[in-house]
Amino acid sequence: MGWEVVILMKKFKIFVNFDKEEKWLNEMARNGWQLKGKSTRYRFCKGEPEDTVIKVDYRVFNKRDAYEDYLMLFKDSGWEHICGNRSCGSQYFKRIDESSDSDIFSDLSSKAGRYKRLSNVWMSLAMCYLTIFISFCLSNTIDINALLHPKLLYYTPGLWERSGAAFWKAFLIETPIVLLRGFIWYLIPVFFIAFVIFALLSEKEYRKMKKVTIAK
Amino acid sequence: MKKNKELPLTETVYYILLALNEPAHGYLIMQKVEELSDGQVRLAAGTLYGAIENLLKLGFIMPVKSEDKRRKVYLITDKGREILLLDYRRMQHIIKITERSLGMGGSDTDEEI
Repeated sequence: MGWEVVILMKKFKIFVNFDKEEKWLNEMARNGWQLKGKSTRYRFCKGEPEDTVIKVDYRVFNKRDAYEDYLMLFKDSGWEHICGNRSCGSQYFKRIDESSDSDIFSDLSSKAGRYKRLSNVWMSLAMCYLTIFISFCLSNTIDINALLHPKLLYYTPGLWERSGAAFWKAFLIETPIVLLRGFIWYLIPVFFIAFVIFALLSEKEYRKMKKVTIAK
Repeated sequence: MKKNKELPLTETVYYILLALNEPAHGYLIMQKVEELSDGQVRLAAGTLYGAIENLLKLGFIMPVKSEDKRRKVYLITDKGREILLLDYRRMQHIIKITERSLGMGGSDTDEEI
């Protein structure tokens, strides 16, 4: 009975630029790391080094048949879908037909379009978080005053008047409880800001490419 | 000529509309466009998918029934044919005035500039 050793590797990386992501994935493939999946992290499987072309498209599909039609079009034109699913957005393709073109886009404006779609998804996520945040504030689930003045989340009487060891002891004992009590709500605005930043970064890439298109 | 903000059509869109005079799925559109353009216009999958999506939204093409369950088949609509003809006439005018301005004396000449 033969044994097959499968070596897996997970990597966490965030890209704002698709070209850089593609370059990195191609390099990984050249070193024998085959992309197997991507959720929060990239999953690679060790195999033969491969000189290939990996390209990323960004599209979210509402309907299953539309997604299938999309994948068939790529397959017909020589691109194997290596990872991605209907709702995750990022679709990874590997060139399987040497005679086919070396890109999944044949003009700059469609190449730029994926940044626009990505930016829209980040923006709508940000808006979701904003809505949640505002409705929590209005229903008093979140106390804005406490978020702006974290000291209010400490309930020990006279804590801030204490000093030295007496202060630190009480402070450190209560801090984990405070984290549970209030800081969890900080995550919502933090996520909101992060999503807006991602949206703006993609928008910037989009504008940059569009400019080149117009100049051409 | 009626002013239409979709005009002039891009070369890509023009060829796709022309190719869809008969029903075709994505890959067939690619092959037809390449053939119609004498190999000048080669569409990549991502670009074509976006173009189809846009043309559907504009109502210039429509999905039609097909035997193939996995590939969608499209056909030009009346609206699409209308815009194609408008662009055709626009280009015809350009050809006509270019020939006149440069003194090429009509299309039956094989004179070169």
